[in-house]
Amino acid sequence: MTTRLPAIPGLPPLLACAGLLAAWELAARFFDISGLPPAHEALRELPVILTDPESLLNILASIKRMIVGFAFALAFAIPVGLMMGRSRFTAAFFNPLLMIIYPVPKAALMPVIMLWLGVGDASKTLVIFLGVSLPVIYHAYQGARAVEEKMLWSAAAMGMDARARLMRIVLPAALPEIMVGIRTGLVLALITMVTSEMIARQQGVGDILFNAMAMAQYDTVYATIVIIGILGFVIDAAFELLRGRMVAWAEPVHEIAVGTT
Amino acid sequence: MTLARRSGEILIGILPIAAIVALWHAIAASGIAPAAILPPPFAVFTRLAQQFGNPQFLGNAGITLFRLFAGFSIALVVGVGLGLAATGSRTVESLVKPLVRVLAPLPKVALYPAMVLILGFDDASKIALVAADAVFPILLATYQGTSAVEPKLVWSARAAGTSQRAVLFKIVLMAALPSVLTGCRIGLIISCIVVFLAEMITSTDGLGYLLVRAGRNFQTVDMFVPLISISILGLALNAAFNMLRAFLLRGFPEEH
Repeated sequence: MTTRLPAIPGLPPLLACAGLLAAWELAARFFDISGLPPAHEALRELPVILTDPESLLNILASIKRMIVGFAFALAFAIPVGLMMGRSRFTAAFFNPLLMIIYPVPKAALMPVIMLWLGVGDASKTLVIFLGVSLPVIYHAYQGARAVEEKMLWSAAAMGMDARARLMRIVLPAALPEIMVGIRTGLVLALITMVTSEMIARQQGVGDILFNAMAMAQYDTVYATIVIIGILGFVIDAAFELLRGRMVAWAEPVHEIAVGTT
Repeated sequence: MTLARRSGEILIGILPIAAIVALWHAIAASGIAPAAILPPPFAVFTRLAQQFGNPQFLGNAGITLFRLFAGFSIALVVGVGLGLAATGSRTVESLVKPLVRVLAPLPKVALYPAMVLILGFDDASKIALVAADAVFPILLATYQGTSAVEPKLVWSARAAGTSQRAVLFKIVLMAALPSVLTGCRIGLIISCIVVFLAEMITSTDGLGYLLVRAGRNFQTVDMFVPLISISILGLALNAAFNMLRAFLLRGFPEEH
């Protein structure tokens, strides 16, 4: 392989961003439709949104829901996935149920859940929890299933009980695979957060988007999309850094980190 | 796996589903939750069976399916095409890779308002959203699969006089087919989910709209019907895809 330029990490994505912005600007000028303002006008709105206390509060409320739903999902999904991977009975018990739930868009449950829990934080957090849980369960399951049996036998021979084996052998061994699931889950948490707010228009980022659209403030619409995009990219990149540190010993797992809602 | 064991596992798997339906029935029957909030399962399933004979409902389901397949087809062509091109040419690779790195983690549904503004409230914006969401798993799977193809296969084909372009389609794409199809299956399920969401957010027809309309009118029974329908649709698409996959991959060594 020949590399003419010294490889600067992060440069190609930055160039890609610049390219996308340039393409946007050109397209807006070329087509000249009111629904597509030029990039520089939308970007001018960015500081306005980020310094407006009400919008900022909305965005922070969204992020808070996302973190809470995500944390609960991890606490629930990792143990379930690991147990499914180590016990055929548990796997057979949960698999068909998960298969049925899988193609249902979690955010589509919003209207039903809103009937039960109201339009507040509880419904939206629950939906995020559901959305994140599935991929994490799936990957923890795959990871736990692939654990070397011999390691478990040695541990058992040395007198480690079942619970300790799960925590000290299966969990670390499955960690690289679990991390893949968590990465998908993170993307999903963001998607579900935005979607649930678009469906139950009360507050949050999704609500800002559609309010701005209804009031024909197209610059704000696009600026909000940019904010969500940056949020997605930063979360993903930060997690990749963390993952690199935590499972640096493992072979890199090639996996498709694209989520479903 | 023996047949007895397999059927035993299926029985175990039916347990939690049956338990949920039973619990649902018990709560509805006990009167803790009024029927307006939680309709009894029997009413929901009767309604579902009724709706499957209702031309209006089937028409809405058809609209959803049309949008789903239109978006998925675009994603399939673009995803496989770009993935293959990225493996075949270093220039394309250096262009596509950073773009994917930036665009893949972006929640595509956030782009939906922009698509509505540019393409209008009709089919086009929903199809565009489905395509945008489904394209990345297909593109990534194609790229990863094709770039992992055994070089010896390519060398032999080249030595036998196959042109560079023909190698890409006849050898590389075929050898990477299992990976490509995995990406397609993920893309298909994503399409199923996204089309429903798009219809819920802004629409006047389709299954997603039926759910929102029922919610606005507090027709709880009718809210469950589209949800169960989309689950059945997803399972059916998945099963059909698995059959297609088994047919296409009949020469490949068994996985798992």
